[in-house]
Amino acid sequence: MNNSKNQRDSDIQKKIDHEIRMRDGACKLLAACSQKDQTLEAAKSLQTCSTRIMAYMSELQRMKEAQVMQKVTRRSSDAGPMEDRLPCKGKVAISDLRIPLMWKDTEYFKNKGELHRCAVFCLLQLGGEIFDTDMVIVDRTLTDICFDNTIVFNEASPGFELRVELYSCCSEDDYSAGSTPRKLASKLSSSLGRSAGKKLRAAMEPGPCSPVSNGGAGPLLLPVPSVPGPKYHLLAHTSLSLLHVQDSFRTHDLTISGNEECSYWLPLYGSMCCRLAAQPHCMTQQMMNGCLKVKQLGGDPQSWKKVYAVVKGTSLFCYHQQEDVEANVEPAFTIAVNKETRIRASEKDPHSKVQNICISNQYGGEEVTHSLTTDSREDTHRWMEAFWQHFYDMSQWKQCCDDVMKIEMPSPRKPAPVTPKQGSLYHEMVIESSNDLSTTVSDILARRMQELELRSHLGTSPTWMSVFEENSPKSTVRPRPCTSRLSGHSPCIPHRPPRSPLSPHRCPQLSLLSSDASLTSDSDSHCSTSPCFHRHGWPEPSSNFPLGSSSPCRLRPRTLSLDAKLSTLRGRVYGGGGTLQCPCQPPPSSLLTPFPISSCSPRSQRSTQTTLSCSSSTSSNSSSNSEGSHSLESSEGAPFSRPSPARRSLRNLKARLDPRNWLQSQV
Amino acid sequence: MSKYIPGQPLTAVVERIEIQKLRQGDNLILGFSIGGGIDQDPGQNPFTNDKTDKGIYVTRISENGPADVAGLREGDKIMQVNGWDMTMVTHDKARKTLTKKNQDVVRLLVTRRSLEEAVKQSMGKKQ
Repeated sequence: MNNSKNQRDSDIQKKIDHEIRMRDGACKLLAACSQKDQTLEAAKSLQTCSTRIMAYMSELQRMKEAQVMQKVTRRSSDAGPMEDRLPCKGKVAISDLRIPLMWKDTEYFKNKGELHRCAVFCLLQLGGEIFDTDMVIVDRTLTDICFDNTIVFNEASPGFELRVELYSCCSEDDYSAGSTPRKLASKLSSSLGRSAGKKLRAAMEPGPCSPVSNGGAGPLLLPVPSVPGPKYHLLAHTSLSLLHVQDSFRTHDLTISGNEECSYWLPLYGSMCCRLAAQPHCMTQQMMNGCLKVKQLGGDPQSWKKVYAVVKGTSLFCYHQQEDVEANVEPAFTIAVNKETRIRASEKDPHSKVQNICISNQYGGEEVTHSLTTDSREDTHRWMEAFWQHFYDMSQWKQCCDDVMKIEMPSPRKPAPVTPKQGSLYHEMVIESSNDLSTTVSDILARRMQELELRSHLGTSPTWMSVFEENSPKSTVRPRPCTSRLSGHSPCIPHRPPRSPLSPHRCPQLSLLSSDASLTSDSDSHCSTSPCFHRHGWPEPSSNFPLGSSSPCRLRPRTLSLDAKLSTLRGRVYGGGGTLQCPCQPPPSSLLTPFPISSCSPRSQRSTQTTLSCSSSTSSNSSSNSEGSHSLESSEGAPFSRPSPARRSLRNLKARLDPRNWLQSQV
Repeated sequence: MSKYIPGQPLTAVVERIEIQKLRQGDNLILGFSIGGGIDQDPGQNPFTNDKTDKGIYVTRISENGPADVAGLREGDKIMQVNGWDMTMVTHDKARKTLTKKNQDVVRLLVTRRSLEEAVKQSMGKKQ
């Protein structure tokens, strides 16, 4: 008895030591790193480690107290501890956590003013296990905070309490040292204005709004190191228990701490949606097995069948032989053992010395009873004990025992692609000593073009690309940030002719931009204002490109509305003839027809996808757009010949905009 | 399917369908196509009698694909995906919710006419 206690003690001690080492590492990392993302991650690890340490400490204390108490009771009474029936443990998994936010509509839609950002993560605690989710940066362009992790707790008892805590930390851009180049950053930091300085100080301190959560338990026995850097504060919490477990998604209420004055505040809607599933061990593991003789009541008294029986879940599986269980052979028959089953020991059979066990079930309207018998009285007693335990477990785990709930083990995935930071072209420009502004700008544009191509492979180029292609003097290139929405990418080789699988035309495709980035009037104005190129010989567009590029005039009329463009589109693409075909009856050349998987080259596959990306008005979504659209129609092989990319993208653009359509998408 | 009145609670008999996505190279596919959405024209939906229903419908199932195996059928109306509502979403939002890259499983709540009828029939029998 004492040995096991000592073992547990040393286990916990080892865990505490491990966590202390992790915490020291996190402190060092925090002190050393300069990037904002890294500091936030390190601070999150620090918070997690501290919480874990405190939980282990409090458990250690509890165990010591229990030991002391037991010694006391032992002295006072000689009776041994009563063995109360304990329910079996189980696995509890929480996944798809989603916390909706409630921004004021003026903030959300107009997207004005400085972007207030917070870094958030969740700490989940059940018993002695504490896990954290990944960190998510939240700003007012998000409607919900989503955590994609699945967290599985392995040894949970039915009376568990799963505590979910949402921590957040303000992450203002104004004075972040990460994104701006060093020289600039040092100049800024040494000359902070009053309001910026106030904000900085507020973020560094815990703030007057709420105390830092300490996990709720005993006194702090170790000094918490005070480290400069971002600190997370508890924003909301809730407790989930067995009655919240269900095989589907449910919404739970959150208790919010903090108020609007705090720097880490986020307007939470007040609820949390998640899937909480539980798999008690009685449903997934064999609770009892052994050899039995079974007979159905009312049958031939001599028809005892010898079987190898296993109690698992809501049934008693009877196999012909023990090897069948491992071989996954179907059992000979199955007797239900669920909440409606009645089990009792029958009167002694006159022929044998052992009591029989009778299992009665209601199948349909009839009652069917099976009799079990074993070889010895001890065996019978063991089986009865197993059945009682099983019933007790099912009564404790309640709704979890109706059916086995599925829990996916979080699979090791590739790390999520780094989402490019939101920002305009100007944030990313590093103005070095180069005097020639135009070459710098054109370099950057060429870089942008490269990553645009790398991502879309449409083989079409935005308007300004034509500047490079024709090798015309770049004196008055005025690049509009059409591509400001596609931010953050790898440098490239300039002067790359766009690739196209079918037609080598190089005419600028404004529709590419509009379909990739946004369909709002923003892009419209970009398209119409981008063109102040001093060019001669605008490349002859093939018949599909309508947006005014065929006009020889240099200055595009700024008032060309989207409607007018569409009508030109329609006229050109369809020869003024038929109406746009509804994809409900997809003609073979329609891209929206799903096709079985083929080994088409990735280029032609992906060339259709960007055209169906969603129209969004914020740039932070555009990268996820193209991510999402990569999965679209990926299995679409295309043995048919495709229309040229431009016509197709325009047609799709038109199809998307036309409210008289009923689009279909393959997923 | 009963007509939906905006602002009123909606009841429907639903079936829970769990689809394991199939990995093909870099992509995860489900093996079906959807149509509909609040930004689409509901009059062209061939799967519903109520021509004002702007919900998301399953328009095609790839044979032996993940959706087929899971029990999804053509003409099903998708009510929820992983807890996200699908009765009042744009077409693209529905597509994006289904094709989230880091999810291997989608749990749908779908409804179809045959379910409602089955329930009615079984209720009729009891009487």
